[in-house]
Amino acid sequence: MIEVRNLTKRYGGTTAVDDLSFTVHPGLVTGFLGPNGAGKSTTMRMVLGLDRPTGGEALVNGRRYADLDQPLRHVGALLDPAAVHHGRRALDHLRWLAASNGISGRRAVALLEQVGLGGVRDKRIRALSLGMKQRLGVAAALLGDPEVLMFDEPVNGLDPEGVRWIRDLVRGLAEEGRTIFVSSHLMSEMALTADHVVIVARGRLITETPMEALTRNGSLEDAYLDLTSGRGL
Amino acid sequence: MKNALAAEWTKLRTVRAPFGIVAAIGLMVVAGAALSWLIVRDYDGSPAAEQAEFASADSSVVITPVVQFLVAALGALVATSDPRLTALTAVPDRKRLLAAKTVLVATAAAVLGVVALATSTGTSRLVMGDRPPPIAPWDGLGDVLPWAGAAVLSILVTGLTGLGIGLAVRSTAVTVVVVGVLLWGVPAVTPMLPEPWDVDASAVMVPYLVWEVAGVVDDPPLSPAAAVACLLLYALVALGAGTVALLRQDA
Ligand SMILES: Nc1ncnc2c1ncn2[C@@H]1O[C@H](COP(=O)(O)OP(=O)(O)OP(=O)(O)O)[C@@H](O)[C@H]1O
Ligand SMILES: [Mg+2]
Repeated sequence: MIEVRNLTKRYGGTTAVDDLSFTVHPGLVTGFLGPNGAGKSTTMRMVLGLDRPTGGEALVNGRRYADLDQPLRHVGALLDPAAVHHGRRALDHLRWLAASNGISGRRAVALLEQVGLGGVRDKRIRALSLGMKQRLGVAAALLGDPEVLMFDEPVNGLDPEGVRWIRDLVRGLAEEGRTIFVSSHLMSEMALTADHVVIVARGRLITETPMEALTRNGSLEDAYLDLTSGRGL
Repeated sequence: MKNALAAEWTKLRTVRAPFGIVAAIGLMVVAGAALSWLIVRDYDGSPAAEQAEFASADSSVVITPVVQFLVAALGALVATSDPRLTALTAVPDRKRLLAAKTVLVATAAAVLGVVALATSTGTSRLVMGDRPPPIAPWDGLGDVLPWAGAAVLSILVTGLTGLGIGLAVRSTAVTVVVVGVLLWGVPAVTPMLPEPWDVDASAVMVPYLVWEVAGVVDDPPLSPAAAVACLLLYALVALGAGTVALLRQDA
């Protein structure tokens, strides 16, 4: 479970997140939607303790991320697949992450196979394609077999097969009872993947609702555009 | 902490740059030995009057400043080479991350320093044989140890300084430039200051501090103990700045 309570983040004069509160429940895929610059990535960064909230708090299973001793065993996140050392080999990247949380190196090898990167495990990351980097990021998120997973635009750069792979993966993880929080700009994809949606604009909550409530009278895209019209950049 | 340290060590040994730094240190030791050999050959072919004018053929004196710089670059790499977002996702306890990086850099710097000093003084000794001063600057082990110890301490300090500055400025390139200015730029300028600042300022520069720590300067401006404290202050100030930045900043 992820609980965001009155979360606020200001960067100088810009308010990226503005008194935002919502809850992401286990066993469901929760979609996180909003226009560019709405504060989705910033919210996810604060959940991971990467950015300090100006106000409010974000808790994962009732605790602050920074207070978790081996956080990768509780929370897996893919925020920025480019936030890696590009000169490192794919497997070595997973190995140091595993080592940092007392996870075995064998798990790293197995995960690379699972995400379809077994053949490029000894390639330097800079030599991987955009979609391969994305898969490596997914492998990193799954490393500690966490109950909570957060993905920021995970289908970015993936081919149709990769898009379906992410969808099936995310659905499967939710069916196992995990808490899944996924941001995306692809409404048709979200409509297929998410059970629940949190929509934000300009850092504020627009709505937090089951998917079916939004799609009852039309497409998710129509409902989303109605809710966010005039609230973009 | 054990896991964080294991992760830092894995990170360091799975990229290329540190190997380049270690290779450069090895190259310096070899080049230093060659230099000693050339000086000794020249010495042996010179008349006695000229022999008395020779400088020491000990290559460790020449390579120590370069090793300081290279180890500082290693510290900078440990500070800056992996994106903070991923580093802090894996180890969100920033104090623990800092401690792991500090232990890693201190250990690597001490090991590299000891190896560089042992090999460079050792090869110099071999090359100089039992030739008398001034070409042989020290008589025996008891003589060389204070100098070698001071040099190793200075290498440890510059490594940690590189780490601290790296954490504070978050750029390898900027850190390397700042370290270069600190180790070579400023000390080149301080002797040109008007009296008494020339002596006062130079006394707290790393290249002179090494000599003061070793206790081999006649009439030193700083006692060895004061020089050690001053040297340590470099690392403490840099690490302090790095700590404040790491604890306060968003990733
Ligand atoms: N480090 C930062 N410094 C200053 N401003 C920032 C920083 N990070 C984000 N912002 C600002 O905060 C706001 C929210 O950005 P954020 O990246 O969270 O949006 P987003 O919803 O993820 O957008 P997108 O859909 O484009 O990914 C934007 O106005 C952005 O410019
Ligand atoms: Mg974003």
